[in-house]
Amino acid sequence: MTDATASAGRPTRITRGSPADHPSIRRPLIRRPDVLIFLAILALVTIGATVLAQTGHVSTSTVKLLGKTLCLCLAALAMDLVWGYTGILSLGHFAFFGIGGYAIGMWLMWDRTELIVLDTLARNPLPATPLEVQEAIGSQIFGVVGSTEIPWLWAFAGSLPLQLAAAVLVPGIVALIFGWLAFRSRVAGVYLSILTQAGTLALSLWLFQNDSGLRGNNGLSGLQNLPGLDHVPQSTISLWFLWASALALAGAYLLAAWTVAGRFGSVLRGIRDDEARVRFLGYEVEHYKLAIFTGTAMACGIAGALYYPQAGIVNPAEIAPIASIYLAVWVAIGGRGLLYGAVIGAAFVSLLSSWFTGGGAPDIDLGFYEIRWTDWWLVLLGLTFVLVTLFAPKGLGGLVDLWTERRSRRTSDLGPDEGALRAEEERP
Amino acid sequence: MSALLEVSGVSKSFDGFKAIDNLSFTVGEPELRAIIGPNGAGKTTFMDLVTGKTRPDSGSIRYGELSRDLTRMSEAQIARAGIGRKFQKPTVFEDQTVFENLAMALASPRSPWTVLTRRPSMETRAGEVAERVGLTAHMRRRAGVLSHGQKQWLEIGMLLAQEPRLLLVDEPAAGMTSAERERTTEMLVEAAKDHAVVVIEHDMEFVRRLNCRVTVLHEGRSLAEGSLDFVCADPRVIDVYLGRPEAGAEAEAEHA
Amino acid sequence: MRILLALALLVIPLSALAQQGPVQTLLQTHAEDIADPSRQTIQPVLDDLSASGLPAMTEFLEAWADKGVVRRDADGLFFYGQREGDVYVLRSVEDGAEAGEVGRREATELKPNAGVRRLIGTALVQFQLNDPDPARRRAALDALSRNATPDLLGPLRASIETEENGAIRDRKEELERLITLRFGENQAARLAAIDWLSDKVSLEGRAALNNVLTTRTVVGPPEAGANIARVLVPGTDISEPAAVALLAEAGFEVAQVSRADRDAALIAAIEGESVAGVAVASLNTEDARWAAYETLAQAGAVPPRAAPDAVARLLAETPITAVYDEPDPAITTAAAAALDEVGARVARAQAADLTLDALSLASIYFLAAIGLAITFGVMGVINMAHGEFIMIGAYTGYVVQTIVPDYTVSLIIALPLAFVVAAAAGVVLERLVIRHLLHRPLETLLATFGISVALQQIFKNIFGTQAVPLTSPAWLAGAWSLNDVIGISYIRIAIFVLALGFLALLVWILRRTRLGLEVRAVTQNPGMAASLGIDPDRVGMATFALGSGIAGVAGVAIGLFAQVTSEMGSGYIVQSFMTVVVGGVGSVFGTLVGAGMIGGLQKGIEWLNPSNTLAAQTYMILFIILFIQFRPRGIVAQKGRFVQ
Repeated sequence: MTDATASAGRPTRITRGSPADHPSIRRPLIRRPDVLIFLAILALVTIGATVLAQTGHVSTSTVKLLGKTLCLCLAALAMDLVWGYTGILSLGHFAFFGIGGYAIGMWLMWDRTELIVLDTLARNPLPATPLEVQEAIGSQIFGVVGSTEIPWLWAFAGSLPLQLAAAVLVPGIVALIFGWLAFRSRVAGVYLSILTQAGTLALSLWLFQNDSGLRGNNGLSGLQNLPGLDHVPQSTISLWFLWASALALAGAYLLAAWTVAGRFGSVLRGIRDDEARVRFLGYEVEHYKLAIFTGTAMACGIAGALYYPQAGIVNPAEIAPIASIYLAVWVAIGGRGLLYGAVIGAAFVSLLSSWFTGGGAPDIDLGFYEIRWTDWWLVLLGLTFVLVTLFAPKGLGGLVDLWTERRSRRTSDLGPDEGALRAEEERP
Repeated sequence: MSALLEVSGVSKSFDGFKAIDNLSFTVGEPELRAIIGPNGAGKTTFMDLVTGKTRPDSGSIRYGELSRDLTRMSEAQIARAGIGRKFQKPTVFEDQTVFENLAMALASPRSPWTVLTRRPSMETRAGEVAERVGLTAHMRRRAGVLSHGQKQWLEIGMLLAQEPRLLLVDEPAAGMTSAERERTTEMLVEAAKDHAVVVIEHDMEFVRRLNCRVTVLHEGRSLAEGSLDFVCADPRVIDVYLGRPEAGAEAEAEHA
Repeated sequence: MRILLALALLVIPLSALAQQGPVQTLLQTHAEDIADPSRQTIQPVLDDLSASGLPAMTEFLEAWADKGVVRRDADGLFFYGQREGDVYVLRSVEDGAEAGEVGRREATELKPNAGVRRLIGTALVQFQLNDPDPARRRAALDALSRNATPDLLGPLRASIETEENGAIRDRKEELERLITLRFGENQAARLAAIDWLSDKVSLEGRAALNNVLTTRTVVGPPEAGANIARVLVPGTDISEPAAVALLAEAGFEVAQVSRADRDAALIAAIEGESVAGVAVASLNTEDARWAAYETLAQAGAVPPRAAPDAVARLLAETPITAVYDEPDPAITTAAAAALDEVGARVARAQAADLTLDALSLASIYFLAAIGLAITFGVMGVINMAHGEFIMIGAYTGYVVQTIVPDYTVSLIIALPLAFVVAAAAGVVLERLVIRHLLHRPLETLLATFGISVALQQIFKNIFGTQAVPLTSPAWLAGAWSLNDVIGISYIRIAIFVLALGFLALLVWILRRTRLGLEVRAVTQNPGMAASLGIDPDRVGMATFALGSGIAGVAGVAIGLFAQVTSEMGSGYIVQSFMTVVVGGVGSVFGTLVGAGMIGGLQKGIEWLNPSNTLAAQTYMILFIILFIQFRPRGIVAQKGRFVQ
């Protein structure tokens, strides 16, 4: 830890081009410790849950909860990229999540209703005509909003590939248009946050209407039933989705780690810290922002498309601005600018939240007042969140960093040291 | 030596205050030029205008052989066209390492897709730049932990790494120790051998050391131009400088 | 005993005669006609009674029409009589004083028939219309407007001349015109009434004009001389199925076979695996089914289906017209024109009303947003808990009301108290959270969001999820209305005044006080302000107190007309942000303009699309997003080199 070794040892290492002490540079992604540990834990959880579920130790609803949590982690990962790395506090990313859910929900609902309708019509003496099928589906799906006509939005609802594409492309296109408008006129900071929140509110209000074509506040329901797979028990389907969610999350994590590594990541963090400076370096900041905004919106769409079949229902309340803020809360609690932080935050807070609100936490009797956690959990969450923002800006993930840093400090020199700086300045 | 940057008849006012008033200015390549002037003379606004941060109310700013109109280009386009800027307050990315700062600045394709998918090694080139600004030993340290002078050098290094044709340097010596100043002077003179370098400076002593042509700005206008001794003999310049003793740098500190 | 009784019988009429007043005297002159009235004979009697002008005559006529008058057989005098068991309890027709009893069989109840009763009613109206009590005159007019008959026109007209109360006189004139329009003696009179009504916007007037224009639908050629409103073209004026249904109703033979009929017929005709020689399995398209039905029809098994063009031809041949119930075309034309004119007038009045609504909404938004605008301007932070300060203010008002029962007094206490409570909450938030997050606006946004969540839930835990009442004092209830279209509730006027008051107060503080000077300095250039010795912490705290306090007052105001719930703040927060962003940060007048614009816009869109307020909000937000494109710094933008 002496000055001489610190300043003399490094240049040689650099000229040899072995940045061993810097994990984010030029090491193959798959060999980075954070990626490895993350993938290992994810695999462990998924395989463990599968084994326990198969042996009957874990209920289907728990498997679903786990699968849903993984989807939320994926959304949080996207949020981390857009906010933690790029500094765009989007309060609308959960809307993209919802759009993904709606897109896949339309197919699930349409196809299943079609099967049911065909089944019912098959009991008629006459074979069903296409018009009859259409009308029956229309009244089945849109009867709740007092309509039997099939809105244009549902034109491709019968096609799984097209709706899957929509789950990714619709959020992407919406984000692209919105982002292009906003970034082009240099709307940034809290203005952008408010604008995204307003856009989210507009979307959810629109969806609340009965004539939006998406069943108003009823939303889309019965999504847990896969069309044509009525014979497969939910316990099996839940495992399929758990695996799909885990794979999506693993893929997204690798992609995110790859994205934030190297110069692209540098530019993103540069935009976060000093946008104008990045511009003077010749980077079109707006293009980068647009790319990351759109890309993460698409990732959220995928997460939503995996989440809602496990949740079973998607409705406009899901898209309300508050949901997007919660997404930011998860990332903040987990740790901004750290990929695993986002995942930890989403998993930790959402699981804790379902434990508290589900009545899992024991109530505390103070004698004069009984604290029921179903009532007080939000107070606890809100205040915890304030404390985390104030005192632990790096969140829970920061604790991991702190721990690894403390370990590495024992073996290598890192710190800025006044003496070292002085010595260098005096050197000719 | 041909004109690289040609500013002609440019005016810019903020809420009625004329920061730049019908200013004309030319710099060739290679050339080292210093701009001096009292507070509020419009030095920083001049830089903002050239780099595209501010748009002029009138006048034209032409650059390069093709005489491209900078007033119609975005900041990033101007930077890519070969105009580099060093800010008065060191603005390096404190959260990133010296290497990352330099790698970002190195001349290379800037479009998101290329940056994301093509990842050539930048170690060697960044190493060369670091060597020029004396930061070789600090490549892996966070820029935030560097001393003030080192941050200034890192920023000059980033400027060099961009390989610009025109370097706009705003008060490079502010807050430096005398040893650091000397080294900064060397770097600028070295760079001016094959680039156009415009230095905005407050400190007459530093300007004297640069030993170059000087433009005196006052109330947004070019008051005098020539060697330092020549402009210092100009009675108007004396009037401006003696009439207004130097009063710190806060007034110029606002662009950050 | 008998003698005594006879004496008594003698004495009573004598005493009665001795007390005979003007009413009884007059009645006795027409005694026989009153006792046994007929429609032919009664009118002169009624005229005579009416001409007497006796006030007590009103009550008599009412009682008479109501079968409440008896005639004592012994002396032929009239009394108000109430049957109680075997006797009638008598009261004097002069003043209603007790006048003894008489046996059931010794008096005759007067039972005028329906025709007579109507005539009595008409005569009565005249009395009521001239009643000295204005309330009774109004009641009579109301009854008249509900139940207008042509014969009431005369008494109504007669009563206008002598009416002294201006408002009632106006009302009488209006009613006279309305009844004339309906039952006027000739075309000219009715046209004059229509002309008169075309100047008014009252609902009643519009209803009367519409009433003239009621139509019935006539299928086939209308009778000669019918006053045709318009020809209904199927497909444009009415849908084709509706037109076909009308034709069928009118007895035209429309051989339309519904899809259900067709399918039933096909199913009935299934023989084994085929229908009419076609395999059942192949009937999986509409065309195939129709083809099979045609085959059946040709075989005569089912009624034939009319060709589509046959229905079209029938529709084309048979005119469907809307015919006015009113036979006189001159009247209907004039009424339609008058209605158009009234419509234009109503539209203008609605625009005025809409402007009032928008102003009121704008003043609410202004109150809700101004605090946010100040704190955003001075400290550059968005306070997501601002909506919760509004809620705190509203709940303060509620708590005060539970302690102080008088609504006026409690309001006077609640307004300043809400300011103090919310300002204190704001200062606590500023000191504990926001101060520690300076220059980290996004984190401030999220941290204050955490506060917002916690506050909402705490209030929910304390006050429950149900909305609590915040009642306005009686003098604020009701509405000020200029006519049937333009009106605004007093609460909204009060809020408007409150907003104006705060606007004036803020302008005064910012322009004329030391704090204002410092606030403006910090807003425009924080660094320079700090170097001039202005303590940004102190200024920040003061502005936060001010901004939050105003939010608290806004909460009381909003609570008076909207529901007080723990979530009420979140409903206003986005709108408040919009107001600030659209108006321009850090400017009182910017916020004013922003509030005006958003209020106006929201009302305007609601007016264009009144059925769907959700869509209105969606469009408004989209509009604002686009607006920000063109004025990213808001309407009243701060300028200068220091603005980033």
